[in-house]
Amino acid sequence: MWQRYSTMILVCIICVAVVGYFVGLNGGVPKTASINSAGLRPESLPHSNGVGIKESSKVLAAMHYSSIPQTAMGPTATFRETAKTWPIQASYDLFTEIKPNEADKEVSSRQRASRRAYNGAPPIIPHAVQNTSDAACFACHSNGMQMAGLKASVMSHPFLGHCTQCHAPPAPAPFQNIDSEVATSFVGLPAPKAGQRAYAGAPPTIPHSQWMRQNCLACHGGPNGWSGLESTHPWRTNCTQCHAPSAVLDQAIKADSIPMLPPVDVANR
Amino acid sequence: MDTKRRSLLKAAAMAAAGSLVTTSSTNALPILPEGNDLPSGEELTWNKAPCRFCGTGCHVQVGVADGRVMAIAGDKAADVNKGLLCVKGYHVGGILYGKDRLTKPLLRRDGKLHEITWQQAIDTIAKRVMRAPERFAFYGSGQWTIPEGYAAQKFMKGGLSNNHIDPNARLCMASAVTGFLATYGVDEPAGCYADLDRCDVLIMWGNNPAEMHPVLFSRVTDRRSRGEKVMLIDIGTRRTRTTDAAEEYLEMKPHGDVAIALGIMHLLIANDNHDKKFVSQYCNFRGAEADKPTLQGEQITEEEFRKRIAKYTPEHVQQLSGVPAHKIRMLADLFGNRNTRITSLWCMGMNQHTMGTAINSLVHGVHLLSGHFGRPGDAPTSLTGQPSACGTVREVGTLSHALPGGRLVANAEHRQQSELFWKLRPGSINPAPGYHTVKMFEQFTKPTSAGGDIDTIFVQVTNPGQTLPNLNALFNQKNGLEDKFLIVSDVYPTATTQLADLILPAAMWVEKNGVYGNSERRTQQWFKMVDPPGEARDDCWMTIAIAHRLFELGHAGMKDLNGEFIFSIKDKAGAEIPIWNYDHYYDTNVDKHLFEEYRQFTTMKHKNLAPYDEYVKARGLRWPVVEQQDGSWRETKFRFAGFDDPFVAQGKEFEFYHSTTGDGRAQIWFHEYAPPPEVPDENFPFWLCTGRVLEHWHSGTMTRRLSPLNRAMPTAYVEMHPDDARDMNIRQGELVVIESRRGTTELPVWIDGRGRPARGSVFVPFFDETKLINNCTLEAHDPFSKQPDYKKCAVRVTKLAKVNS
Repeated sequence: MWQRYSTMILVCIICVAVVGYFVGLNGGVPKTASINSAGLRPESLPHSNGVGIKESSKVLAAMHYSSIPQTAMGPTATFRETAKTWPIQASYDLFTEIKPNEADKEVSSRQRASRRAYNGAPPIIPHAVQNTSDAACFACHSNGMQMAGLKASVMSHPFLGHCTQCHAPPAPAPFQNIDSEVATSFVGLPAPKAGQRAYAGAPPTIPHSQWMRQNCLACHGGPNGWSGLESTHPWRTNCTQCHAPSAVLDQAIKADSIPMLPPVDVANR
Repeated sequence: MDTKRRSLLKAAAMAAAGSLVTTSSTNALPILPEGNDLPSGEELTWNKAPCRFCGTGCHVQVGVADGRVMAIAGDKAADVNKGLLCVKGYHVGGILYGKDRLTKPLLRRDGKLHEITWQQAIDTIAKRVMRAPERFAFYGSGQWTIPEGYAAQKFMKGGLSNNHIDPNARLCMASAVTGFLATYGVDEPAGCYADLDRCDVLIMWGNNPAEMHPVLFSRVTDRRSRGEKVMLIDIGTRRTRTTDAAEEYLEMKPHGDVAIALGIMHLLIANDNHDKKFVSQYCNFRGAEADKPTLQGEQITEEEFRKRIAKYTPEHVQQLSGVPAHKIRMLADLFGNRNTRITSLWCMGMNQHTMGTAINSLVHGVHLLSGHFGRPGDAPTSLTGQPSACGTVREVGTLSHALPGGRLVANAEHRQQSELFWKLRPGSINPAPGYHTVKMFEQFTKPTSAGGDIDTIFVQVTNPGQTLPNLNALFNQKNGLEDKFLIVSDVYPTATTQLADLILPAAMWVEKNGVYGNSERRTQQWFKMVDPPGEARDDCWMTIAIAHRLFELGHAGMKDLNGEFIFSIKDKAGAEIPIWNYDHYYDTNVDKHLFEEYRQFTTMKHKNLAPYDEYVKARGLRWPVVEQQDGSWRETKFRFAGFDDPFVAQGKEFEFYHSTTGDGRAQIWFHEYAPPPEVPDENFPFWLCTGRVLEHWHSGTMTRRLSPLNRAMPTAYVEMHPDDARDMNIRQGELVVIESRRGTTELPVWIDGRGRPARGSVFVPFFDETKLINNCTLEAHDPFSKQPDYKKCAVRVTKLAKVNS
């Protein structure tokens, strides 16, 4: 009879052990109060899973492997957190009514002018670009983007490699405090204010060269154009159908006067 | 001109300049004010000009309004750059407008500079030359226009019978010249930039075109954007922006290039995949004489060549160059495949080299031995750093041993021809070569009592006080030598004008007419578009005015056979135009007269030029330019190749018609590897390499006055390997002292910067006149080209804090 009970007892023990094993796995190591001590707790930085990381500390709080992809870590941790609070760029509607205004145009013109030695010069780079590649430039500037009050302009020309060949970067980080001012009396060609219209309501001519500005909507419309410079009809796709370019500004054909045949010679006049 | 608008423009100019001093923002492009009268762009007149900077020779369109350059555009009609420029080219217009332009002739008296008149200045120079013509030297430039260089050449060698004329290009591409001469018997590349559009492999030998010739480099990398495949191989001593775009980076020890070239040739022979047909039909083998090596060398048999090259196995080359043996095999396999089109590019890395002539010849040899020559995309091509190093120096021959059109002063027939063209009495030209650059400045800075037999140097369009090697020995010692007289014509105060006794304000770029010749044999013309500031005047005028003053003083050499002034120009009525009087200098186009006279010289070496007016119409033409039956002028893209070169005999695939062996063949050279002249040791443990950056051009006198460029690169620096910096406890941006056996300079450290040198080596750009790295460089030079090696010497690096304590 004891043999019969012993089998049951053994089954019970095995069951308890198995259950205990899995319960133990799930429950983990018994918690001690000291792990969550204030020393490892960030005061200011909210963390997605409630646990924080002190910015200056290189110690990371333990977490599940599964939560690592969602956790902000490393030098971009702050940025990733704050970026979440920014409003998402409104989706662009091609047919929204555009009412360009002079004040916006003035602001945009000033900003553009501050980056160019003359109208037509490739703009200098207004932000740090140390050790970045063409791919990095292209990431933001291919279609442009807006974020936190900053705007990455759209490339107005086709993709060309080696961006810093034409666009001068700011000083490298170690030399940013060096005075680089130069004394010059160079005056660059100012930005044009508007094209010419043959009559009120006529489509204006293009007041700048088209070379390197083949993509009209880079500035004159689209989601990341310049405010005040937008086209009122961005859905139209063939700009030069209505807006005449300038042979002078494009350095196209050199002619002192427009060659014409002589006037008709009428005998009885 | 509308005076109201002009005054507005002036006001805008002043406002712009004023705002720069007070604001820290970057540019000063004026915004159109209400009711403004400033040009909108439609009023601009556009005109073509080659860019003022490097040897690429991009064409720019210069937009001028109210007598001022206001805008620049890439020239879409230009084959060189196809409408693109680099950051220097886009801002080239601003070089005219630095606030400290020199505008008056200045004479140093009792250590102070005093304003004098042009008449006094010309008279002072002429009298000094008159007193001792043989002690006078002319130091010129690859930035001289062709007419400027030609006038200086005629003035010195013809007029003064003095061959002490040499250009800064001696420091820049003299070894390329000797390499071409030794290999083909005639100077300058056979290929052209079209090779860049066709090559499958581009090998850059110690060359960083991503920064130094950016328009050419992006011409290749933009092919990739269009879906084409091109393999870039960078052979160098430091990682650069070029490396970033390259498939292969072969890091070599200094002088490793010689071993690599020898290793490739060894393998081509050992693997029996050299181009036997090409070699047997079009090449000879050549080696240096054992006792007294000459530039011509002596012919050797293919057997002898095989014997000599046998020891340069990949393993031995690995030992000499530091490049792994399998990479040498990879290069040799590429060259062993005739179907792959390979273009080699090089510039200062191979030229500023104590084995400069040797390595230039060897790389030509690699291309010849493998038959990678003469088809579009197959070319050994040397690049130049200055806009007219080819045009003015190599073609006009403004070197101490040369005469125009590839002639030599030592050759009696060449002297005779030159005297004939110049209408000078026979025997006018001195048969002994003059002093080359290093020797010229050695003789100038040596006291007269110690045998320094040059007492006056006239420097035009260059800045030796910053760019000579070992400045303490070759330049700074001039200080205090009372009987030595330094005349400098320049546009801004420079390191050179600091020691000048007479400073002449020069007109620059589109302030004068000009003609340049770029790296691909392209001759480019432009017209004066704006007036120079103040009393600044053309360099060519200065030379002619000095010559005429000497003529007045009775110097016999300034008269030709007819007793007329050697630079005499007559108007249609036969009356002489007084071009020596600046008021009348532009009564005629002096450039055109000089160019047409110079053209006579160009046919001997088949570097034929078209008439001046053809260049007015074109965006440059590549010589030889020959007249067609219909009267039009045709340029040549591929020299020595039967399909394109008009001087190759009918029916021949190739012909090297200036072969040194007289049999229409090019020479494949063997040169033994030799170690560099100065090698790091215990006291001076680092290699020093010097060079340039994208934003600044040469000594920086022009580019450092352009706001966008100076903002991008405000100071020179020393690049170090992070491990070297760590070992010496040096931090980013910290000031260190670079010291060689010859001098010192202080620089901030840039770790992991734009260039990343190998361990045990440092790199310093030379553009910054406040941090002269040429205090440290070595004047050791190539035995044939006399070009110094700026790329390697031994230095030590010390923390400034340590030096001061």
